[in-house]
Amino acid sequence: MIELAGLTKEYGTRVAVDDLTVTIQPGRVTGFLGPNGSGKTTTMRCVLGLARPTSGTATVLGRPYRELAQPMRRVGALIDPRARHAGRTAYRHLLALAQSNGLPRARVDEVIDLVGLESVADDRVRGFSLGMGQRLGIAAALLGDPDVLLLDEPVNGLDPEGIRWVRELLRGLADEGRTVLVSSHLMSEMEDTADHLVVVGRGRLLADLPMEELLGAHSAVRVRTPQGPTLADALRRAGGHVELEIDGALRVEGLGVAEVGDVAFLADVRLHELARVTVSLEAAYLALTDDEVEFRAVTR
Amino acid sequence: MSRAVPFRSVLRSEWTKLWSVRSTWWCTAVYVVVAGGGGWLAAAGTDTSPRADVAVQTALTGFGIAQLALVVLGVLVVSSEFASGLALVSLTAVPRRTRLLLAKTVVVVAYCLLLSAVLAVACALAARTLTVVPGGVQPDDPDVLRTLGLQVGAAGLVGVLGVALGAVLRSTAGAVGIGAALVLVAPPALALAGGELAARISQSLPALRVGEDAFLAVPTTWPVGMGVVSAWAVGGWLLGALLLERRDV
Repeated sequence: MIELAGLTKEYGTRVAVDDLTVTIQPGRVTGFLGPNGSGKTTTMRCVLGLARPTSGTATVLGRPYRELAQPMRRVGALIDPRARHAGRTAYRHLLALAQSNGLPRARVDEVIDLVGLESVADDRVRGFSLGMGQRLGIAAALLGDPDVLLLDEPVNGLDPEGIRWVRELLRGLADEGRTVLVSSHLMSEMEDTADHLVVVGRGRLLADLPMEELLGAHSAVRVRTPQGPTLADALRRAGGHVELEIDGALRVEGLGVAEVGDVAFLADVRLHELARVTVSLEAAYLALTDDEVEFRAVTR
Repeated sequence: MSRAVPFRSVLRSEWTKLWSVRSTWWCTAVYVVVAGGGGWLAAAGTDTSPRADVAVQTALTGFGIAQLALVVLGVLVVSSEFASGLALVSLTAVPRRTRLLLAKTVVVVAYCLLLSAVLAVACALAARTLTVVPGGVQPDDPDVLRTLGLQVGAAGLVGVLGVALGAVLRSTAGAVGIGAALVLVAPPALALAGGELAARISQSLPALRVGEDAFLAVPTTWPVGMGVVSAWAVGGWLLGALLLERRDV
């Protein structure tokens, strides 16, 4: 479990994290979403004791990270896939990390196999691609078989096979009752991986809710009929918010599929199509963060 | 709650880090060639010497420049982690930062002492075989042993100074530049400048050779020289530890 209470981090006059209070629960994959510069990485750094909060606290398993007796057995983290000495081999990089926490040498071979780096374990990491760096970083995070995992953009640079592998890995770890916090800007990835979402914008908490709820809040019913105006009136009377789509279908928010069908039946309207449309996480996320984007490309 | 990770685990980790990069071997090679080679050449060029410890001191001349390799080694042990971002990973693995710095320092000092001891003995052998001294260079001569011990001890302190500079400045170029200025450039430059004040400052810098044979710097007595180098090493290290604890990574 990771607990943030009023966590605030300022860099000079810039507020990177602004009074963030949220609890990351075990047993599920929590997606940590936000636009670039929204404070995701800074938050993770505060949790790991790498950055000192300006105010507020961040604790892992009930204590500040720096007070953990055997940090790697409790928490595994991937903050930067390039964080490694270019001239050291992958094996020795992991060996030094394992030794620092008194982990057995055999564990190094295990995680190398687990992430699929056997063939390059004795190569200097200088030539590693971003994807191989991610695998090495994930291997380091898993070395201590930790209860809590914090992964910052772990699928960035991975190929589709690698993305699927990470997804299954995280699912498995959460199912074993571990706490998994994973940040990503790849919405489609989160949709398939996370059970719960924490969304931040400009360092502030925008949403802390189950994935289903966020998607549900932005879902709608699509209905097509030759008697559009009649049905639209009936639906509005029933409390729905109705919009006309480009192809002539109606988009109804605020009513379920069954309710729309019942309204049509009572209004004696023939239907050619009736479907629930779930917005993608991407659309829901954009709706949520629309006002919070700090670096927006100028379009003219 | 489980027990804390023992310090020897952190030491073992830092030892692995030290020998698993090429820069360590380059620094070692430079040190051995310049200190050892320079020593043999100096001994070979000195036909006779009035005293055994003076003969040995001459054979140790190479250390005056060679120890710069130890400064670089000490700096790199810290600064390379910040340059690559590895510090993020290291300080996540060992969140008690002074503990990590101490482990790095112990490993560097042990390496410097061991390597320097072997080199110093080799140089003493050069003096014994190549320089004619009344009574010869005896291995149990207290003056000879003191000369060798001082050199080895100073090399350990130079390693500490390198680690300290790396922790304070975090940048390899900056730390090596300032380190070289402190130990190699400023002491002789100030000695050449002349004058009471310049001489005082020269004596208060951590020159690579301490004592009367000060390698172009203003000579001083060996207790003062060792005191000065120790003060720089320990003071710099404490500042480095303080800054490491205080600053974000």
